[in-house]
Amino acid sequence: MFRWWRGIWSRPGPESKGPTAEASYVVLDTELTGLDDRKDGIVSIGAVRMRGGRIAIGGTFHELVNPSAVLDGRSVVIHGIMPSQVEAKPPIDQVLMTFMGYVGSAVLVGHCLSVDLAFLNREARRLTGKPFRNPVVDTLSLYGWLRHRFPDTQAFTASLPGLSLFDLAHLFDVQVAEGHTALGDAYITAQLFQRFLPLLAEAGVRDLTGLLRVGDPERQAENFIGPGGQAHF
Amino acid sequence: MLIDDAVRFLSQIPPFQFLEGPTLREVAQSLTMEFYPKGTVILQQDGPVSESLRIIQKGVVKISIRPKGSGDEEVSDYRERGETFGLVSLMGGHQKTTIVAMQDTICYLLSRESLNDLMSSHPALTEYLLQFHLTKYVDMTSREIQGKSLLLGSSDRLLFTAKVGEICRSAATIVSPEATIREVAGRMAADRQSAALVAGPGGNPIGIVTDSDLRSKVVALGHSIEAPVSQIMSHPVVKADEHEACFEVVLRMLQGNIHHVAVTRGDSLCGVITNHDFMVLQGRSPLAFSEDIERQTTLEGLAPVSQKALTIIGALLREGARAANIIRIISELNDRIVRRVLEIAERELGPPPLPYCWLALGSEGRKEQTFRTDQDNALVYADPPPDLRKEAAEYFARFTAFMRNGLVSCGFEPCPANCMASNSEWCQPISIWRGYFTDWISAPTPKAVLNSQIFFDFRPLHGDESLAWDLREHLNRLIPDYPIFLGFLANMLVKNRPPIGFFGSVAVERSGEHKDGLNLKIKGVTPLVDIARMFSLEQGVRHSSTMERLEALRGGSTLIADLVDELEYAFEFISLLRIHHQYRQMEAGKPIDNFIHLESLSHLERQSLKNAFRLALRVQDQVMERYRSFII
Repeated sequence: MFRWWRGIWSRPGPESKGPTAEASYVVLDTELTGLDDRKDGIVSIGAVRMRGGRIAIGGTFHELVNPSAVLDGRSVVIHGIMPSQVEAKPPIDQVLMTFMGYVGSAVLVGHCLSVDLAFLNREARRLTGKPFRNPVVDTLSLYGWLRHRFPDTQAFTASLPGLSLFDLAHLFDVQVAEGHTALGDAYITAQLFQRFLPLLAEAGVRDLTGLLRVGDPERQAENFIGPGGQAHF
Repeated sequence: MLIDDAVRFLSQIPPFQFLEGPTLREVAQSLTMEFYPKGTVILQQDGPVSESLRIIQKGVVKISIRPKGSGDEEVSDYRERGETFGLVSLMGGHQKTTIVAMQDTICYLLSRESLNDLMSSHPALTEYLLQFHLTKYVDMTSREIQGKSLLLGSSDRLLFTAKVGEICRSAATIVSPEATIREVAGRMAADRQSAALVAGPGGNPIGIVTDSDLRSKVVALGHSIEAPVSQIMSHPVVKADEHEACFEVVLRMLQGNIHHVAVTRGDSLCGVITNHDFMVLQGRSPLAFSEDIERQTTLEGLAPVSQKALTIIGALLREGARAANIIRIISELNDRIVRRVLEIAERELGPPPLPYCWLALGSEGRKEQTFRTDQDNALVYADPPPDLRKEAAEYFARFTAFMRNGLVSCGFEPCPANCMASNSEWCQPISIWRGYFTDWISAPTPKAVLNSQIFFDFRPLHGDESLAWDLREHLNRLIPDYPIFLGFLANMLVKNRPPIGFFGSVAVERSGEHKDGLNLKIKGVTPLVDIARMFSLEQGVRHSSTMERLEALRGGSTLIADLVDELEYAFEFISLLRIHHQYRQMEAGKPIDNFIHLESLSHLERQSLKNAFRLALRVQDQVMERYRSFII
């Protein structure tokens, strides 16, 4: 009985099947007051829509949130968001409801998505009793997986300074604008994802089932270690 | 941020850069962006048609066609940043080419729906995209270049001290808003005006109607000509007070991308000023200079004046004169200097024993010199009676030697190929000249065809012009009898293909044929000059300059009869580019050449240059078809 229920819950939704080139994606990034998901909060959410490999230039999502947690000096330095800027902004409840409407049933894509997801799900649970049910893909997991499939490609063999979004953006010649906003980072992530899609197709990953498997946020480490058991950092 | 990026990008590239801010933002909103790794087949010949216009944001694509039944792919074009593709298949419903990314390429995609909206509200954009005419944007390009030079600022801006009130034509056509479009067009035609002002009850201008409004809003859209003119007028009218400096008004015209400004005195209208009026104004300034030339009676006095002639070009360029005007002025000044030296020579060596005519050849003959070029000249004199033969030859030998040295001292370098009257071969009585021409035409060896390209552009510059016209007539009589000669010209002409692949990639430039840049003279100017020359010789046109030749061929029976506008604009544009390039070199104290680099051109300039190349290629293809039997 329990297994049957599980089956219902994890049954692929409308966006869990079909070619990757036709699926709808929402590529997102959040800015947080800190990394502690018990006491820190979301400062802003930025997101970009994609249909297959096409990034929609209009129709982006970018909202600053009045956080429940107090902004501390550290995160102010990172995001350049001053407490006075967000005090007048809508509270997370309102922003999250809008965001859920924006996301719909699209596949969620992000860089190190688990972190963003932990915060988003915490708020969603508090608000609606349920976490986000959308399929999820992590660009870092994708990168790790692709590294083994394209040993001749410079962007995968270069010794890595790190695995941050900006390190990867640099490797894949994605332009990084000045400053650091949720929408800006989501846009960079989207462009990274845009470059990964044709490579994935070349490596045989052409449908969502495959994409969700290799892009699973929980498989970051596994992907990097690779089939030979050898870490490729 | 995504939108700002897109808007910033679009605002740099034609035709989108000509959209107003809010429209541009709307267009940007509707875009999507796609990435194509190097080697991606973006569109496939005979495959699904394109559903959007793609604008290249980064990278290069190759467009090729595989003709039916043949295995060989033919590359028809390369497109790069700022250019678009996919329009023809979008509109034509059939994908006729294969488009492949040559580098990692990023494109913005403008959907069919958005494009349709945009095209129906912006006829100019449609026109640009369809590239039926070079007209509009070459005009814009020359204004873009002008804009640059205007903004440079300069102390010797001698023309821009005038006030608009002083140069505006007072006889403007003024109509009421209720007048029908038909009436207004009639009034404009009768008054020979390119614009009419629409005045309100108080006489204040409330709108303006221009030739271009009649074309784009009435003819192109099938708007009723019985409708009131207020429906198609542009408003509000851009106004300038009569006391404003011309310079200010030109800037406003550049910024607003408009051609007509209403000039007011207090509350009432004085008239309309157009960019044409400014051009006319610009034509005047070298006058003072040429008077200075006329005043000199010795070589010693003339030489420094002549050297100074170059400075005037800088002033003209900075003031944004059109290339045709600049070239005309340079030629006019050079002609005057040469005539002055001839007069000095006649005085120093005594009167000539026989009537003679001094001929300008090559670019000088075509009145197409940019900066001071080499001497290219010849001398023809009347057939001497036997007893005068030796004396005449000796006199003209001394005379032409004096000329060569005199011209050198005035800054005209001797011709390295010795195409000068001081070479006895090119200083002959008319019967010998007729013989030369007959030989070249009846036996067109490569050397003869080469000679004909220089000598058949001759123009009488001084002396007894009837000798030159006699020669021209001889030439025009001969040509119809020797079709093989035109065949040889055609053959030569189609061999010099403008390198459209030059635009494919900056990499092309770094090695091989274009490592020094693109030779604008040989690859840009020459094909157009050759086209005009060939058809002029075929039709017996007497003119020697390319612009005059093209004008004479307008509407005639040649295959370029309907392409005259485009060819003139292309020629004008390339000439302007060349003059600017050379002027910059001169100012920097560098040697003057014709090599330009892709990086030094703006999008619009590249686009225009490319279109000029395409036009020349198209004509060459038609020539090839026409003279097929002669093409080797």
